[in-house]
Order: sequence, then structure tokens, then C-alpha cells
Amino acid sequence: GENGTLSREDFQRIPELAINPLGDRIINAFFPEGEDQVNFRGFMRTLAHFRPIEDNEKNKDPTASEPLNSRSNKLLFAFKLYDLDRDNKISRDELLQVLRMMVGVNISDEQLGSIADRTIQEADQNGDNSISFNEFIKVGNLYFVYLET
Amino acid sequence: MYFQRNFRWQEIPLHLYPVLYFFFVFTADEEDTVIDSDGRQERAKDKERKKERDRKRRRNVARRASSARKEGKELEDRPEREERRGRKKRDKEGKGKGKGGEDERQEEVKNDTVAKIQKNFSNENTRKLEQKEMEVVGEEDGDTEGKRKNGRSKKDEKKEDKEKHESSEEEEDEEEKEGEEKPDVLSPEELEKLKEEVDERKKLISTLRGKPWPMRKKLLTLRESHEFVEKYEGALGKGKSRKLTVICYRDFENFKTACVPWEMKIKEIESHFGSSVASYFIFLRWMYGINMILFGLTFGLVMVPEALMGRPYGSMPRKTVPRADEANAMDFAVLWDFGGYAQYSVLFYGYYNSQRAIGWLKFRMPLSYFLVGVGTVAYSYMVVIRTMARNANEDGGGDNNSFNFSWKMFTSWDYLIGNPETADNKFASITTSFKEAILEEQESRKDDNIHLTRFLRVLANFLVLCCLAGSGYLIYFVVRRSQKFALEGLESHSWWERNEVNMVMSLLGMFCPMLFDVISALENYHPRIALQWQLGRIFALFLGNLYTFIIALMDEINLKREEEEVLKLNMTIWEASLYNGTLGANSTAPPITVHPADIPRGPCWETMVGQEFVRLIVSDTMTTYITLLIGDFLRAVLVRFLNYCWCWDLEAGFPSYSEFDVSGNVLGLIFNQGMIWMGAFYAPCLPALNVLRLHVSMYLQCWAVMCCNVPQERVFKASGSNNFYMAMLLVILFLSTLPAIYTIVTIPPSFDCGPFSGKSRMFDVIQETLESDFPAWFGKVFSYASNPGLVLPFLLLMVLAIYYLQSTSKSYKQANLELKKKLQTQNEENKKKTKMAAQKAAMDLEEAQNARSESPRQQRNNNASQQSYRGEKNTVAFI
Repeated sequence: GENGTLSREDFQRIPELAINPLGDRIINAFFPEGEDQVNFRGFMRTLAHFRPIEDNEKNKDPTASEPLNSRSNKLLFAFKLYDLDRDNKISRDELLQVLRMMVGVNISDEQLGSIADRTIQEADQNGDNSISFNEFIKVGNLYFVYLET
Repeated sequence: MYFQRNFRWQEIPLHLYPVLYFFFVFTADEEDTVIDSDGRQERAKDKERKKERDRKRRRNVARRASSARKEGKELEDRPEREERRGRKKRDKEGKGKGKGGEDERQEEVKNDTVAKIQKNFSNENTRKLEQKEMEVVGEEDGDTEGKRKNGRSKKDEKKEDKEKHESSEEEEDEEEKEGEEKPDVLSPEELEKLKEEVDERKKLISTLRGKPWPMRKKLLTLRESHEFVEKYEGALGKGKSRKLTVICYRDFENFKTACVPWEMKIKEIESHFGSSVASYFIFLRWMYGINMILFGLTFGLVMVPEALMGRPYGSMPRKTVPRADEANAMDFAVLWDFGGYAQYSVLFYGYYNSQRAIGWLKFRMPLSYFLVGVGTVAYSYMVVIRTMARNANEDGGGDNNSFNFSWKMFTSWDYLIGNPETADNKFASITTSFKEAILEEQESRKDDNIHLTRFLRVLANFLVLCCLAGSGYLIYFVVRRSQKFALEGLESHSWWERNEVNMVMSLLGMFCPMLFDVISALENYHPRIALQWQLGRIFALFLGNLYTFIIALMDEINLKREEEEVLKLNMTIWEASLYNGTLGANSTAPPITVHPADIPRGPCWETMVGQEFVRLIVSDTMTTYITLLIGDFLRAVLVRFLNYCWCWDLEAGFPSYSEFDVSGNVLGLIFNQGMIWMGAFYAPCLPALNVLRLHVSMYLQCWAVMCCNVPQERVFKASGSNNFYMAMLLVILFLSTLPAIYTIVTIPPSFDCGPFSGKSRMFDVIQETLESDFPAWFGKVFSYASNPGLVLPFLLLMVLAIYYLQSTSKSYKQANLELKKKLQTQNEENKKKTKMAAQKAAMDLEEAQNARSESPRQQRNNNASQQSYRGEKNTVAFI
């Protein structure tokens, strides 16, 4: 609206988000818990995650808090997209929901289940049948390495 | 992932920054989204809309900020002062680089005064930069720490001043100074310093976009740095127009990807039908490229020179339609059959003259013809083998990652997609890729009764062998019979007996693949391997086809040559009679001129062979297209529209839509290419025809696949670079060069047509060139070099070299495999270790919790110690 804030509907009008299977999740990431308006500051704060990583070796300042666009913060942001119930774990059900958004009805539920199981099996390291943030980081970092090669 | 790459934003005008920030949300890498480019239009529009929205938003913020400033001057001062105090403290500790401070500041200060403070800050920073610049131009530099303190203190003093005014003043100042001390002559140290400075500036430019500064400051800094770099880079003698080159480079890259022909179509097909179908189209495209080059060779070096510089049509018998055929030489039916005028044109071997050099360029036509014929084959060998080698390299890398599904799951969506159609494609491709991955998993996990599968596989191979042997015998039998019939004369036999060979061949070609398909169901292979088996089997069957064709051709060549012998005899009689006749009438008349159309001529078996191949190609093309239209399109139309008024479900039930037949199409392509290689020597137009055919079939098949086929039930992953196809192509290439070389080497050319007429063998043209166009010593060297005493050792050496290279490559492969295995085991071990550690930690935690619940006092102690520990850590960090 004209009140200096953005609502969910404003975001949904963006075609890229509207057709994105994870669009709702991304939009959710803009809104703090329990609010449905975001002001410019909050908006920019979320967007800051998308700034490219800068190689600031020279000012590795231990006192400064980690910038929002560091790799791990980016990964945390992505992790939150998948972590629907905000319990810091991606469970099988959450994976299934995301999968359903991504492939629709073209693959049977049974197969989707096995994909989710397989994904968890790949990433899971402590045997709790869900993906914690640390495990997620491992997957993500390997992917970065894979991209760079 | 949308932030997976570093973006190249320098090229983008900075006033678009706010808009572009927003688009980080959807950003993968622009160059990667090949599918997406049709969505760009829409995106651009959207950008516009967004820009407007953004502008409004900014205006709002600015308005509020200004009002806040008016209202609360005192309020504003307090946080600022606090801030400054904090920073000073840090400065004393020798810490607190500008950037860190800013970060914290951004987080701490939450009200609208931040705008003003940041403005202050920006000025401070630009001042810093200016100072640096001044230092570069002139004097000794202090350490950066001091400089910053300097800047800061200056700022403290002037904090009441109007910022804008100040900054403009400063700028003027700077310009003055630069004007004064403009470096005309630079000492080496200064140069060095300047270089460093320029490098620093460059670094700043590249990292600028990531800095948490307000937009205006970024703009300012960027502009200044750019000016600086451009100014002094010129002085340092480096390239000035870096920006331009970057843009050009980027455009060039985009252009390059846009130039890959049919990439979009193939990607679209791949997303809907999986990589196996796409592999066929990639192969088709590759083939098209090869044929383009073959076409260029024959067209540029053979057809065009002869058409432009050779003797014109009608000047000699071989270039004229004979009198008997003249009446209907222009009929469409005759032309379609490549007779009449088409036969006596540059399209075929017979038209070319044996004159050694033609035109003012003294173009050696026969030599060129021969070399192009050999060159096309040699080039094809080279390309096929090189491609195979490259593909083998690619296969060696391997992509057995342990997070296959996770990556697919978390990273497959392309966030740049803004077009619904593209999004559909992407959905389809994600689905397909998941299906492929599932299939791979299923196949790798399958472990049923090994003995049963082995038995079934042996049985299946046995059955297939029986089939092949049976059909081979059938072909042999039929060909023998037809040879007998041909000797007896075709007229006395029925229609069936005349067309027996063709009918049998096409029937076999139709039913055997189906049979193989049924048999291969027994084997229970992975579909990719099953496809290879299927291809191999049908390939063997088609070889029979090739065999009959070559046999028939050889028979015909022999017939023609007998005819030629007879005609040669007749020729002399005819000439003698002509001579006698004219002599009888008038002995003093000038040598009579007979119109070339009336002179009797030989049958010219080479042109005949060429015609056979061209006809074969044309009919083959037609059948392919027609079966495509009827078998796929018509079927799809019927299924689709009769479904409304039919008693069962046509779409799901019996006829259904057709699947794309990869094996059949690939083999068709390969055999077609074999025909081209075989026939190109006798019909230079063949590559041109093939290019045309491939071009049309690319579009037609793409359309047919997208509009009337359904994806296979089991989509499987095929590598884009299919070495199996290449291997088959190599075999066919070899098989097709054999008969061509055989005819060139052993059969003498016709006496009155073609570039080699009058010679006893076609390759004599080489010797002739050596003798007449090269100096004598060259011929001598050549004759020595072709001495068996030299050639045999050379061959031996080559064999040895090949053996050596092969064994080394084998050992390398072994080493590679071992390394891979080592890596894998290490990975697994690591995984196990971390798992153990995690379990142990969990147990420890449990114990600790138990202990805590037992004694809450202890817990308090714990906390205290933890806190003190934290405090320690902090102090450590501060130091």
C-alpha cells in the first residue's frame, strides 16, 4: 500500500515469485514472525542476504558481527526456506512438501517419499532422520565447491 | 541457489542498483539460463514497474527522514555521540576498521537519524579517498591507521557544517591539487606507488557493491575511482577502455551461446523427454556440422570451379544430353529420378572434364577432385576419432557425488525464470531429472537372482543370434535368386520375383527390431545398456541391407563395363564409317563437325553409381518424413480427436501416442551418413543433399517430438556425448570407405567421362601431378619414400607407438580408478567418524542434563564459569 510498507500481496505480484515453487517461502522470509507488513529497513535487511560474498580477508574483525551476506548466513537463509516449522531441522515431511511444490503430481507419492528418504540419508550424519543446519551447511558447501570446479 | 555465483555488476549502470538488488532474489547466473531468454522481455518491463515503486518508497523514506530531523535535533545528537565515543575507544585499541564500525553502527542505530549519520560518514570516507589520492601524487605516506584517525578527527571538528557544501569544496580542492601536481615525469618509486594505488582502486571497485554504504556514496566513490583508474592507467601505459572490453567480452560470450544452433529447441526437448531423446538431437546437430564441412569442401573445390571455369554445357559429349533423351530431359519425372539434365550437370562424376588445368587460375581439376574425395573421408575419420577421444576424457571425470538427491532437491530451481512457459519447462525438467535419478537408484540397487538373469541373458542373445543368422541367410538366398533372375532377363518374371529383394529387406527391417525389443525385455538390463544392445543388434541387421546394396551395385558395374567394351569397339566402327562417308562425298572438305549430342558414348558406370546413391538418399528421406507424418502426426491426431467418440480410452489404451524411437532414428542417421560417405566420390552433390535433409529433419523432428510424442515410461539419463553412437559411426565409416576405395583402386575409370577419363586408374592423377608440376628431385624422393623397404619399418614403428600409448593410457586409467576408490573410502570413514562423534556428544549432553537436574546449584556454577569464560574470550578477542 501507500503506507511505506509492503504486504504479502505486493510480493506475490512479482511474476518470478508467483511462479516459483518456493515463492511463498521466500516471501515468508521477508516477514518477521507474526507480522504481515515489512518496511523498507526490513526489506533491505532480507535482501542483504543476496549480496555477493566479498573476500574481505584484510578486515577479518573478530569483534564485528558476521555480515549478512557471508556464506553461512546465506546458507542459513536458504535453510530457513525449507524449514517450514522453524525447529531448526528439515524433517521428512517438510522435504515432501517442498518436493510436491517442485514436481507437482507427476511423480507418485511413494517415489516422492523415497526421494525424501534418500535425501535425508545422504545428508544426515547423526542419525536423527532430519537435516540439521550443520548438515545442510555441509551439503551447501560441497555444492559451492562443485560449482567452482 | 540464487546466490551461488559472483555476479558481474560493474557493467551495470549504478542508478539501477536498487532495482537490481531486488532481483538478487531470483538470481542464478544470467548466462546459465538458456531456457529463459524469452522471459527477458517481461522482466525488463517488470524492472520498470519496480523502479517506479522503489522510487516512491524512497521518496517516502526521505520525507520522513527530513521531518524527523527537524523535530528531534537533540535526539539525534545523543546516539551520534555515543557512537563516536565507542569508536574512539576502539581506535585507541588499535582496532575498529572503518567497515566494522559501520556495520555495528548500522545495527545499533535504529531510528531515522541514520540517514544523516551515514551522510556524514560518506563524506568522511570520500575524504579518506581524496587524501589517499593526494598522497599518491606526492609525498611520503603515513600508515593507514593514522590517516583514518586524521580523517575522523577532522570530521569531528566539522560535524556542524553543512555536509554537501563541504564535500563540494573538498572536491574542488582536490581537483586543484591534481591540476598542480599532475605527474609529467615520474620517478620509478612514484610509478610503483601509483601502480599500487591503481590496483587498490580496482579492488575497491570490484568490492564496492558488497559494501554496506548508502547508494549515493557508492555512486560517488565508484565514479571517482573509475576516473582515477582511467586517468592513471593511461599514464602507466595500460589499456584504457577496460569497461568497453568487459562489455564487449560479455556480449561476445552471449553471442557465442546464442550462436549454438538449435540449443533452445534441444533444451526444451530435453526438459520434457529426458536426456536420451536429447542425445539423439545433439548427435543430429553434430552430424549436421560435419556435413556442412563436407559440403563446403565439395562445393567450393569441385562443383563451383567446374561450373565457373570448366567448359560450358553442350561443348562436348559428356556435357550434353544425348539426342535420344533430349525430348523428355526436362520432364519432372526424369529430373526427379536424377536423369536428363540433372545427370549431365556438375552434380555427377560424368560431367567433369579430364583437362588437366582449367580457367585462368590453372585450377588442377582432376587432382582437386581426387584430393577432395580422399579428403572428405580422411576428415571424417579424424573428426569421429577426435570426438570419441574427447568424450572418453569427459567420461573419465565421473560425477558420483554423495549428495545427488540433496543437490537436486535444494538447488534445481532457477530463480531467474519469470516466464510461465519457461517455468513449465523447468518443472518438467526437474521432474524428468528426478525420474532419471530414481531410475538410476533403482537400477543400482537391483539385486535379484543373478543366475536367473544370466540364464535369461544368454537365452536372449542366443535367440537374437538365431534371428540374425536366419535373416542373413534369407538375404543371401534372395540376392542369389535375384542375380539368377537378372541373368535370365527381368521381363519373364512376375512382379514379386522382380522386387523380392527390396520387399524382403523392408519386411526384415520392420519386424526384426520389434522382435529384438521383445527379446530384450527378457534381459532385464538398465535401459541405457538395453538401448545399446538394441542398437547393436539392429545395426547387425542393417549390415545385411548394406551388403545386398553393394552386391547389386557391383553386379551393375560389371554389366556396364561389359557394355563399355562392346561400345568401344562400336565407336571405332562408327568413326571409321563417319570418316569414310565424308571421305566418299568430298575429300577436301574441312573436318566435319558432329553435334556432341549425336556422338555415341559409353555408359559411364561412375555416374550410374552416383545416381543410385542419390536416389537412395532421396527415397530414404521421403520415407522417413512420410512415416513421421503418418506414424506420429496422424496417429496423434486420430487418437486425440477420435477419443471423444470411441468405445475405449484411446489415449491411455491401445494405440496411445507414440514414443520417440531413439534407436531407430539414430541408426537411420548413421546409415544415411554411410551412404553419403560411399557415394560422395561419384556424386559431389550428395553432401549438399544431406545438409538439406538434416536441416529439414531437425525442424520436422523437433516439431513432431514436441507435438505428437509422449515421453518414455522409463526416462533414463544418457550422457550428452554419446560414444556409443560414435563407435557405430566409425564402424559404418570404415565399412563404407571399403567399397569406395575398392572401386577407386581396382576398377579402371570410364574412357569418355569424368575427370579421370583416359587414365588406366584414378589415382594416376597423383603421379601425373608429381611428374609435371613438381621438380624432378621431389618425384625421386617420393618414389624412394614409397619404397616398401621404407614403408614397412615405418608401419612397424607406428604400431609400436600405438601399443605403447595404449598401455600407458590403461595404466593411467587404473591409477585414476584407485585414487577414486581411495577418496570414496575416506569419505565414508569421515562420515562414520562424525556420526560417532555426534552420538557421543549426544550421550554426553544427556548425562550432563541428568547431572544438572540433580544439582541445580552446580548448574548455576556452571553458568557462572561459562560467563567468565565468555568474558575471557571477549577480552581475548579485543586484544
